[in-house]
Amino acid sequence: MSDREAGGPIAKLATALDERLGARVPSVIVGGASFAYTAGAILTFLLVFEALTGIALAAFYAPTGSDAWASVAYIEDQTTWGHFVRGAHHHGGGAIVIVAGLHLVQTALAGAYKRPRELVWWLGILLLMLVLAWAITGYILPWDQAGFWANQVEVGIAAGTPIVGDRIKELALGGNDYGNLTLTRFYALHVGLLPAVVTALTVLHIKLARRHGTTSIKSGPDAPRWPDQTLRDAIATAAVVALLITIVVSSGGAPLAGPADPATAYDARPLWYFRWLYELRELAGSAEQIAAMVAPAVVGGFFVSLPLLDRKPDRAIKARLLWLGAMAGFLALIAALTMMSFARDSSNTELAERQAKAEIHAARARYLAKTNGVPASGAIDVFTTVPMYTARTLWAKSCKGCHEDAPPGAPADQQRKGPRIGPGHGNRVWLAEFLKAPSGDAFWGRTKLGKDPDAAMPAYEATPEAVADMAELLYAESGAMDIDKAKQERGKAAFETACGDCHSLEEGVAGSGPGLAKLGSRDWYFHYISNPHAAVNLGDKSEMPRFDQDLTVVERDALAGYLVWLRTATAQDLAALGPL
Amino acid sequence: MGEPPDRRGFLKVATCCVGGGVALAAGVPVVGLLVDPAGKQTVSSGKDPFDLGALSRFAVGAPPTRVEIVAPVVKDAWTAATNVVLGAAFIQRTTPDTIVALSAVCPHLGCAVGFDAKAGNYLCPCHDSRFALDGAKTTGPSERGLDPLPVKVVGDRLELTWVRYKLGQTSREPA
Repeated sequence: MSDREAGGPIAKLATALDERLGARVPSVIVGGASFAYTAGAILTFLLVFEALTGIALAAFYAPTGSDAWASVAYIEDQTTWGHFVRGAHHHGGGAIVIVAGLHLVQTALAGAYKRPRELVWWLGILLLMLVLAWAITGYILPWDQAGFWANQVEVGIAAGTPIVGDRIKELALGGNDYGNLTLTRFYALHVGLLPAVVTALTVLHIKLARRHGTTSIKSGPDAPRWPDQTLRDAIATAAVVALLITIVVSSGGAPLAGPADPATAYDARPLWYFRWLYELRELAGSAEQIAAMVAPAVVGGFFVSLPLLDRKPDRAIKARLLWLGAMAGFLALIAALTMMSFARDSSNTELAERQAKAEIHAARARYLAKTNGVPASGAIDVFTTVPMYTARTLWAKSCKGCHEDAPPGAPADQQRKGPRIGPGHGNRVWLAEFLKAPSGDAFWGRTKLGKDPDAAMPAYEATPEAVADMAELLYAESGAMDIDKAKQERGKAAFETACGDCHSLEEGVAGSGPGLAKLGSRDWYFHYISNPHAAVNLGDKSEMPRFDQDLTVVERDALAGYLVWLRTATAQDLAALGPL
Repeated sequence: MGEPPDRRGFLKVATCCVGGGVALAAGVPVVGLLVDPAGKQTVSSGKDPFDLGALSRFAVGAPPTRVEIVAPVVKDAWTAATNVVLGAAFIQRTTPDTIVALSAVCPHLGCAVGFDAKAGNYLCPCHDSRFALDGAKTTGPSERGLDPLPVKVVGDRLELTWVRYKLGQTSREPA
């Protein structure tokens, strides 16, 4: 005490403060300070680090089914440090598991679980389990495919508990199914209950560890904790932080899959520290429910009962080979299973294909979220923000099969059946080409109509100028504004003789061929899609199904709008819309 | 020291009783609220059958068609959302009059099953259970085959009733 009092003004202030606080407990490291004693300090730092990054993330995060993914995507892609902070929080959790695991092994090797330190040991094991549970509660919070499906499996395992399984599931999900209450529940656990419990137990763990002192592994002179040990603590922590930052940067931060989608398959994998259990389940086959419950119980039970099994006060490693050997066996098994699980996945090429697809899907969702924003109706609706989503989805579902060329090598039953429809459909060039060869492959060629020379429309055999005039006349029916009046007039003059036998330009009037009034307008497309078999359309010559029952008015109108858009679109315009 | 021992005993018991009462007063409402959702239908959609469209959409003998089951309205605790995808089903028309509808929810742990066109069977991506075209389990940890869903032809339309079954057991019980 005397040399402290003899210090400068700061030391005097510290002493005066401590007289009132009583916080300064002289702490001595028996046998001298060592880097071997730094694990506790590193873990304490990491817990504080997780709290700080967690608070920053919580300031952006919204725990609801519709907003969770959107808020995390926002943190990732639209904030200055969000990507780094989330990555650090994610990998910081992994770092806690690693350091805590090493701390556990080191404590076991030193025999520090023995009397009177059993409670310190048990508290440590409880803390490690709570940290693992903490990670599970955090993994679902982004409400992405990865977390959503991994959670299905985890809750599914818990629901397999005899008798109370169903109750556990209801309590975990907050009701009968995944929804808002699932997220608020896991969020409350993740940022409320678990931090409080872990903090309280950590304080107790440290208090008890201090009470009993380190299990000395050195035999030098005693050293004061401050600053001899604290410097080593600081250096070790700095090394861990440097490693953590390196991992965050080199790994690209924390992954974020596409928004949770209960209808789309996803290759769910647990966090890496649970992969050994995942592999054990794979190996156990039909006995997997037992494996999933029994294996952690056996490993946990072994560590918990170690102080009870090994009661002799002798801490020499030689005297404890049986117990340490058993521990080494468990750890080697866990390590081997973990590696096997990763090896199994990396040798699965089909899995790699599906994962690559899922990554494209996720990147697409994030791109759309960033450019268009996420609709308040839910993250999955981010895909509906692409231009003409409704129409293009309907097109892909109901029209594409018959009106777009199949990719090369597609089987015969997947080939186009009707006229080809794509960019430029219904423009002047298209109309002129049609007039020259209505039964060409791109037009009616693949239909019964095109193959029946009696029913099919004959080609308009005329000079290129006359064909262009006729195309202009028909083009004007669409309502397009860029009409060459002179050409249109010449076309009209020729129409009666050339086409009038079968067609009419008068609204609602059809001959043996379809009425051409308003051809190519949104209205015309709407009615054609609704019922191609109407007398004013193709009548019984059409093979196309009618859509007035399968598609709503709004849907048919959206499709009609899309077809009008296609008229002036180029292949580049179409590509620029992006995938669905 | 001068107090009779039974008085001290009373004081101890009284402290525990008062403290216990305070703990109950704080604990009952908190725990009561936390367990409130258990047993409740917190996420609900109408029980009406879903219209899957014209029967002609499903060609006889074609590979299974994956259809999304879209609920017009889903109430999720405090929100109501329209056109919510509940899950998916695979529809197969084996003969003109026989429709096989299988839930895409893996009966094992609830992952979404996909149709592996190359292998001609169903594959669950989570734990590699495989199911034959009729839904029977062929390999993997799943306890039972894929769950059939009730379908009905109404006029020329196909209607399907969406049912979720309990996972991870051999028997088929609605969840």
